[in-house]
Order: sequence, then C-alpha cells, then structure tokens
Amino acid sequence: MLKKSLAVALVLMLVAGLLAGCGQQSSQQQGGEQKQAKEIAFTIGAEVPSLDPQKATDTYAILIGHHIFEGLVRVHNGQVQPGIAEKWEVSEDKTTYTFHLRDAKWSDGKPVTAYDFEYAIKRLLDPNTASEYAFQGYYILNGEEYNKGKITDPNQIGVKALDEKTLQIKLKVPVKYFESLLSFISFMPVRKDFVEQMGDKFAADADKLLYNGPFILKEWKHEQELVLEKNPNYWNKDAIKIDKVTIYVVNDANTAYQMYENGETDWEYIPAELVEQLDKEGKAKYFYDGAVFYLQFNVKREGKPWLANENFQRAIGFAIDREALIKSVLKGVSDPATRYVLPLLAGLEKTFVEEYPYEFYSKNADVAKAKEYLQKAMKELNISDPSKMTFEYLTDDTQRAKLTAEFIQDQLKKNLGINMTIKQVPFKQRLELMTKMDYDVVFAGWGPDYNDPMTYLDLWVTGGGHNDTGWSNKQYDELIQFAKTTTDFKKRADAMFEAEKLLLEKGPIVPIYFRQRAWVCNDRIKGLVTDFIGATFDFVYADVQE
Amino acid sequence: MGRYILNRLFVSLVTAWVLVTIVFFLVRLLPGDPFLSEKVTPEIKANMMRYYGLDKPIHIQYMTFLKNLLKGDFGYSLRYKNRTVNEVIKQAFPYSADLGIRAVIFATIVGVTLGIIAALNRNRTWDYLAMFIAIVGVSVPSFVIGPLLQYVFATKLNLLPVSQWKGFSYTIMPTFALSLSSLALMARLMRASMLDVVNQDYIKTAKAKGLSPFQIIWKHQIRNAILPVITVLGPVTATLLTGTFVIEQIFAIPGLGKFYILGIQNLDYSLVLGMTTFYGLFLIAANFVVDIIYGLVDPRIRIAR
Repeated sequence: MLKKSLAVALVLMLVAGLLAGCGQQSSQQQGGEQKQAKEIAFTIGAEVPSLDPQKATDTYAILIGHHIFEGLVRVHNGQVQPGIAEKWEVSEDKTTYTFHLRDAKWSDGKPVTAYDFEYAIKRLLDPNTASEYAFQGYYILNGEEYNKGKITDPNQIGVKALDEKTLQIKLKVPVKYFESLLSFISFMPVRKDFVEQMGDKFAADADKLLYNGPFILKEWKHEQELVLEKNPNYWNKDAIKIDKVTIYVVNDANTAYQMYENGETDWEYIPAELVEQLDKEGKAKYFYDGAVFYLQFNVKREGKPWLANENFQRAIGFAIDREALIKSVLKGVSDPATRYVLPLLAGLEKTFVEEYPYEFYSKNADVAKAKEYLQKAMKELNISDPSKMTFEYLTDDTQRAKLTAEFIQDQLKKNLGINMTIKQVPFKQRLELMTKMDYDVVFAGWGPDYNDPMTYLDLWVTGGGHNDTGWSNKQYDELIQFAKTTTDFKKRADAMFEAEKLLLEKGPIVPIYFRQRAWVCNDRIKGLVTDFIGATFDFVYADVQE
Repeated sequence: MGRYILNRLFVSLVTAWVLVTIVFFLVRLLPGDPFLSEKVTPEIKANMMRYYGLDKPIHIQYMTFLKNLLKGDFGYSLRYKNRTVNEVIKQAFPYSADLGIRAVIFATIVGVTLGIIAALNRNRTWDYLAMFIAIVGVSVPSFVIGPLLQYVFATKLNLLPVSQWKGFSYTIMPTFALSLSSLALMARLMRASMLDVVNQDYIKTAKAKGLSPFQIIWKHQIRNAILPVITVLGPVTATLLTGTFVIEQIFAIPGLGKFYILGIQNLDYSLVLGMTTFYGLFLIAANFVVDIIYGLVDPRIRIAR
C-alpha cells in the first residue's frame, strides 16, 4: 500500500514539475515577440568565420560585409553605382583608374580617405596577411608578383593615394569587369591605425571593427546572432529605410524554416521536402546562386584512355537526362545546363547568353546522339564492348551527391551500357584528390568571382591553377589570352564565345546544371534583391510595409 | 585515500598526454589540409601555411604545440580567423554546460524515480509504463525527438519557441530531448539494481528487525542500488556538458557540440586538438570525481582502498 502511494506521489511530483515549466515559459514568450516597424530578421546557416575584409571568404561574410562596409563602388542588382568614390576616370588604354572620393566617415567619426583604400589593397596582397582571396588583387599591376614574393617592395604595386581624396589604381591589362570587382569584400577599406591598434584581435568582435557602410554591426554574439543598425554617419543614409536587422545563426535548415513559419524571420530558404508544396501554393521564389555543376574528366588518367576521348566525353554528356535529374534529385530547383556560361553574366549591353545564344546539350537525354558519339569513340579507341570503358565517379559524401551519382550511374548504364562506380569522400578530400589529379571523373562546381563569363572560362587554360584535368588546347589558350588583353570589348566577347563553344565540343567538362535556390519571403518586405555573386540577399535599399 | 588520489591523478595526466599526442598526429594524417578550398592556389596556400607555422617540420610543430598546451594555450583557430580556440571554448562552453547540467539533473531525477517506481511495482502497470518510457527513450534518436517536439510544441501548439537559447522557455525542449536517452539508461539501471538488492540478506535482516517498509526502501534498498547509476553519472555528465552536435544544431544553441564536427570537416587542427584536450580532461575529471563520490556513498569501497 505504501509502495503504491509512494509511486503515485513521485509521479504527481513529476507531472507538477512539467506543468509548472510550461506555464512559466508561455508567458515569457509572448513578452519577447513584439516587433517594431522597420526591423527585419533572417537566418544564416553558420557562424561567420571572419569579417576581416581582407581575410573573409565565405558567403555570409560577403553578405554582411556588403551591408556594413562600402568600397569605391557599390553593386546593386547587377548595376555599378558610385560608392565612396563619387566619380572616376579611366585612361585611354583602360589600365589606369583615378577615383575621386566623397566626404564619408568611419563609424568612429574620422574621415574615410584614399589612404585607407591603398592600405587595404596592399594588405590584401601582402603575403604575411595570408589572404586566401589575394588573387582578387592580381589584376593590379605587380599585385601577383608581390603576393607570390617575386618582388618585396609594396610601393611597386599599382595602387597609390595621390592625396586624401584621390586614389589611383593601375592594372596589368585592361579588365572589363574591374569596376564591379571593386565592390567585392576583399577591396573594402580598412584604416591602418585601427588595424595596428587591434593587432591579432582585429575584426574578432563587433567593437573591433570600423564600419563605413549603410549599417553598423552593433552586436556579434558568436554562433548566436548578429545585430545591424542603420549607420547614422553613412553618406547616403536617407536612402536607407531599415533601422535594425537581426541575423540569427541557425545551422539546421528545418529549424530555420520553422522560425520563418512562426514569423520570427522575414525570409528563408525552403527545405527540399517542402519545395513542391510551396511551389503549388505559389509561395516559392527562385534565384540562381551563381554555381554551375559539371562532370570533369581526368584526361591524363593512366590505363583509361577513353577518359581523354572527346567523343566518349560527349557521349556521356548526351546520355544524361538533365531535366529528369533536376526533377527527381533536386525537386525541380535548378536549371539544366545546356551550355557552360551561367545565363545571368554580363555581356556588352544585355547578358552574355542573350547576346550569344547557344545550346550544345539538350535538356533531356539524346540517346541517339550519345550512341553515335560512343560508336565514334569505340572506333577510335579500338574497343568493341562499351562495358569495358569503366570509370570511377568521385563526389562529396552528402546525400544529394549520392542521389545525383546514382541517377547518372543509372542513365549511363541504361542508355550506353557503360559501368561507372561511385566513390564518395568528404569535401576536403575530394579537393585534394582533384588537385593531385587522382580521379577518373569528378562531379565539381564553380561559383563566379565577378560578373563576367571569364570567371568560368579562364579555369581551363593550360597550366591554370584550377585546371586539374590535364587538358591543354592551344586554340583555347589563345582565345582566352586574346580576350584578357584586348581593349576592344566586342572582340573580347566574341573570343569568349568561341572559347565556350570549343570547350563544350572538345573540353574535359560536361555541364549538368546551373544551381538555383528556392526561398520564401514575407510580403511586408519590399525592395529585397537577390544577387548571384556578392551579397546573396541585398537589403541595403529594402523597406518594410506592414 | 590521499595516495589513491595522487595515483589516479598521475594516471590521468599520462592518459591526457597520450590522447593529445595521438590526436595531434592523427588529425594531420587526414587527407587534405586546412586551407584546401575550391578557389585557393598553391602560392596562396603556401602563404597561409607559413602564416600558421604549418610549413615547419612536424616534430617542431609538435614541440610548439606541447609548450603552448602547458601554458593552456590552444592557439588560433585556422577557420575562425582572429579567434583563438580558447576564446571559442570559453564562449561556447557555458551554453553547453548550462544545457548539460539541466539535462543531467532532469535525467537523474526522473530516471532514478522511474527506476524505483518500476522496481517497486515489478510486473505491474507502473512497471510496464516506466519501462515503456525507458525503451522509447533509448530507441528514438534525438534527431527525431527534436524536430518532433518543435513541430508539436512550437509550430502547432505555439507554446514554446522553436529554437535558440534566450531564457527558460527556450531550454525546455532541448533539455528534454537531450536527457531522454540518459534518463532511459538510468531508469533501467536503477530498476535492475533495485531488484538485485531486494534479495540481499541485509534486506531480509531489516525486515526481520521489523523496520517500516519506507525505512527499508529509503535507507537500505535505494542507497545500495544507486551505485551503478553513480558509475554512469561521470561519463554521462561529461558527454552532456561538453555539447552535443545534434541537439545544438536542431535548437540553434551556440554551444560547443558543433565545433568538434566542423573542426574535423574543416581540418581545423588547432580547434580539433583544443576540443579533444578539453573534452578529454573533462572526462578524466568527471571520472575522478565519481571515484571520490563512490567512497562517500559506499563505505566498503573507502575501506577497501
């Protein structure tokens, strides 16, 4: 009897404890949910590794940097606008830029000067800064030489503050996209005295950085949240409507989406399993994130001569049903890549793809064409059984990578009788195997560094730093070299188009898809712009209308 | 007792040294290197390796590491630039510890209680109910329980916040989700141990002396039966306090858990080493404390040593 009553008492205690907990929390939650006007919130998927402009590399730093810093120019919705530079002149040979700076202030009230830009660019290129994105400064005269230690005098670098308000930048060769490049985070100014005063702690916390952009970073609770506030010192502050931005760090995509559903945030990526449903409801939006994914062949692979065979590569390319792959694996989010250059990149007036329309591969599998190419390859290689032409497909260890691999494996088996095996490894290991050229075929991707087709095309020149295929084509090299040095931008675009066609016909890659991202956004947010190169979400000029 | 403690301390230190040494070399054996990325070029990578001293011969790197370790300095994170590993741990550990302590307390109280209820009502409804809860706790993984709780209590019922760590209401779901498996473990241990003890001679003696059932259960049965639970309390505390990847991910808690996994993915040598050392020392310390508590709870152990 006593045992029973003891048990009942214990259970009652437990239940009471739970109920007490519930009551307390619900009252607390209601208090914390009041939102004032002109406040927005969203999530990012990981802690920002670094907001030091010259060391930052990841998408979140680039997103936040776009809003808290301002470079010589600002790129908004693909258009170059004056930033800290009010106006600028370009020399006849298009290699010398002279920027005239406006009156602008750092968040501590001191003026932003041309010296801050000179210091930042030299800091980017200094080998002792160990900046991963130093290559963004290689366009500048002697920038590459200084970074690689071939020259040691920083004064030889082609950047100089002529006075407080005038900055001169000299380039190695004309660079059509140089202006838009200057909005990239690596070129954001930093002030020498502040950087030196902070030493190793520079940019480690919100109070260890200076801001000159539309917003200032008010709070940085690592791994938790960042709070931005409108910068009262910003030169163009009247154009900024948002007062406060809260950025939550939420790693789990489903949790992040639940927060959006609960009204805690204003926009969010859609988890894969909900895309179809939200698409039907008309709520899903899409944008290209800039990345193109392709199969990359190791043409120097010993014992597998077919990997170097152009016809074999094309056969693979035509045998894959890109549209079906996107539908089944990516839930319809992404676009079949029938060519290599992303449809959004700038041409001369319109986009490059509008000015140079082209479709090499089809959206669906073209089995007849694939077989035709395969026959040619077998003849050239003197192989009679396609199942002998095996290869290993290297990819990441994610679930999506696995499904993609299995889909392609199935298509090749079904359409061509080719057997491929799948090797899944962690991301870093895949990169290492690629660098060492220890693979047969790899599923790889590339994101743009600037708004121009060259960001994709110059990868594949002979000896290029990222050309891990062993492919070398003299004509291709010449076309790229010409495009990189000519001052005639029409001829330049023509040459790039020729290069793209050549790559698709003979090159070691087979494009699969241009990645898109599906997202939702609260209707009250106006003027939010998605960007496929820099900020991803650009809310500089956004507004809130309840 | 004093000599016993000294002896244990020495063994603990040697264990810690072996641990960090093995991890130091193993992490460098992983394919790839910390600065491998899609965009990096060999020259730029060389700059970065030099900056972080990774271009030096490995034995020199090891000596530097040990020297700094003795000073308690884990060095700069290779990924979270401008932040030291000490800072990362200092800032993230309180969140993990906060969550962990809540989970340990909840798991111990509820787990032990359930175990007692089950044992006292062996093969009756209360027993089945308690063991059902225990089996659910062991078999449903936290990545299922977490989102399920979020869906029911946050999205559908709107009673609790979905995620983050900003006050008591934010702690309820993660604490519950985190403690569930330890709770189940303790409940089962406690039940088995209670049933074991009930057949001992001293219980019969107590009954024969005419003690009340409450006294028998409280003074003799529970006190003796709780030893196995204390044994697991050490490792359970260390595991729960130093952060758990899944729960912290799901509930967006800025704790330590994710740094281990991310550190390995990014090959952030200093972060992985720092985390291992920290976790190792914590585990060793927790076991050490448990050994001492043992002695307090059970005089037999104290005398034997």
